[in-house]
Amino acid sequence: MGDLVVLVKAALNPELVRSSDGDRLDLDSVPLKLSDIDRNAVEEAARLKSILGGKLYSITVLTWGPASLREKDLRLAVQEALAKGVDEAIVVADDSAVPGDQVLTANIIVGAIKSLGLKPDIIIAAEESIDEGTGQIPGRVASKLGFPYVSFVRKIDVSDGKIIVERDLEEVVEVVEAPLPAVVSVTQEINDPRPPTLIQIRRASKKPIRTLKLSDLNVEPVRKRAIRELRIIKEERKGVVIEAESVDKAADRLLEILESEGILK
Amino acid sequence: MKILVLGETSRDIGESLSAISSIEGDRVVALFSTSHDEASRASALGYKVYHLNTRNTEAAYKLLVKVYEAESPGLIVSVSTKNPRDVLSRLAGLLDLPLATNVRKISVGDGKIVYERAVLSERSISLEEADPPAILLVMPRLFKPIAGEGQGSIEELEPSEEPAARILEVKRKELGGARIEEADVVVGVGRGFRRREDLRLAFELAELLGGAVGGSRPIAADLKWLPEDAWIGISGKRISPKLYIAVGISGAPQHMAGVSGSKIIVAINKDKSAPIFRYADYGIVADLYEILPILIRKLKERKGLG
Repeated sequence: MGDLVVLVKAALNPELVRSSDGDRLDLDSVPLKLSDIDRNAVEEAARLKSILGGKLYSITVLTWGPASLREKDLRLAVQEALAKGVDEAIVVADDSAVPGDQVLTANIIVGAIKSLGLKPDIIIAAEESIDEGTGQIPGRVASKLGFPYVSFVRKIDVSDGKIIVERDLEEVVEVVEAPLPAVVSVTQEINDPRPPTLIQIRRASKKPIRTLKLSDLNVEPVRKRAIRELRIIKEERKGVVIEAESVDKAADRLLEILESEGILK
Repeated sequence: MKILVLGETSRDIGESLSAISSIEGDRVVALFSTSHDEASRASALGYKVYHLNTRNTEAAYKLLVKVYEAESPGLIVSVSTKNPRDVLSRLAGLLDLPLATNVRKISVGDGKIVYERAVLSERSISLEEADPPAILLVMPRLFKPIAGEGQGSIEELEPSEEPAARILEVKRKELGGARIEEADVVVGVGRGFRRREDLRLAFELAELLGGAVGGSRPIAADLKWLPEDAWIGISGKRISPKLYIAVGISGAPQHMAGVSGSKIIVAINKDKSAPIFRYADYGIVADLYEILPILIRKLKERKGLG
């Protein structure tokens, strides 16, 4: 019986982006949170563990620094995963790995799996993160480990040494069978995760978190891309709230506006 | 710099070719499709086409590795759809190549590939550079596909081995043909609607305005009260109508990114603190069950139907 690994990211919170200088994003002031679809990935990993047994590890690579400033956000994100069923969290927080580069992130994840001797049957991840949104890490990890990969999965069935999944594509649903070990990326539709209960949160605080540096994993801090600048998109909308003494009057006012905008004739 | 363009259709390939129109260098195409007609349409774009004749992403990846080795491109471009994202992330992992999605602009300068892409639920733009060879996936439907200008050759590539992950069945999705991306007026429905039957209010309003009805993720993807092709948002459809009326929609960033191209946004929501009001041109704080019937009645009266 093997283990399970879920990839968990502490992502920049898109709802709290701020600029300090014109439209330039002030990266250090944007808090991190557990990336939305990672909740679905953790929930599904915990369900698979209840079927397959074994131990459920999470792996988190800090990609936004500096590490000293991100400690609390990172811990909260990881603790939510622990509360929802992860047994042991592996966290790689190293200033030489920030800001993240996906080539490096994938090397770190694979480095952690190998150097800690994990033998995962299934590595599960979200289809994409809420900050970078590229969805490339699971495919990279699968290639590097030589595992089969099924992406954009909205349903997983397990039966003797293999999985049968539904891949949710633009116009079709593909039913795919893959042998284990395999890498799976999941969509938000796969389940409906509930927030952890108080008891789960309390139990999570006793679970182990193993914090590692790049030097522990023999991973070189290679970089293949550089972020030159991050700008906030300022959308100019009028932001007029129609005030009227009654809903009927408000409706009249809206129709007048649509007429003056040339939409109603 | 040689550029390899990957796509599932000749249209997507045309969009990618359009995205790189200002970059000099030879182009070759890899078509990921089982359709021979599509292969000849792709070859009519004027470049050599490697036809990856499979619908399995693992098999396509293995064939693409061969194309990569034969051509050694400095840049690989595709439209950001799901199967190309799957295939190219594997290639990126195998060769440790940089990869970016949601790209809106590409140029080459000083030996670097420079690009702009949308990040943070499309609230921000990231200006980045990468060392070639790099993989860039451009935003779908942003670039106008180039017109064909010649005739390229086609090299057929068949999978040489059975992939480990096998496709057992392909089920077509039930699509409603709502065509919300083409409508001038779109009424968007969200969780403010309590029952599926109540959506008729939105349909009636849309009909009177000559428009179509779309929905947020909970309505179209989770509850399935609308067909999936009526889902508006980052993972659904992006629309840019003259008028977008958001009814009972709170205004999550993933939804708003799908409507940012709208000329005018009107929001109707009974919660005056809903974020949607910050992203709207005109907002009305009202219960949709109260205001929609009034709007419908007044529009009918204007048309002499009342």
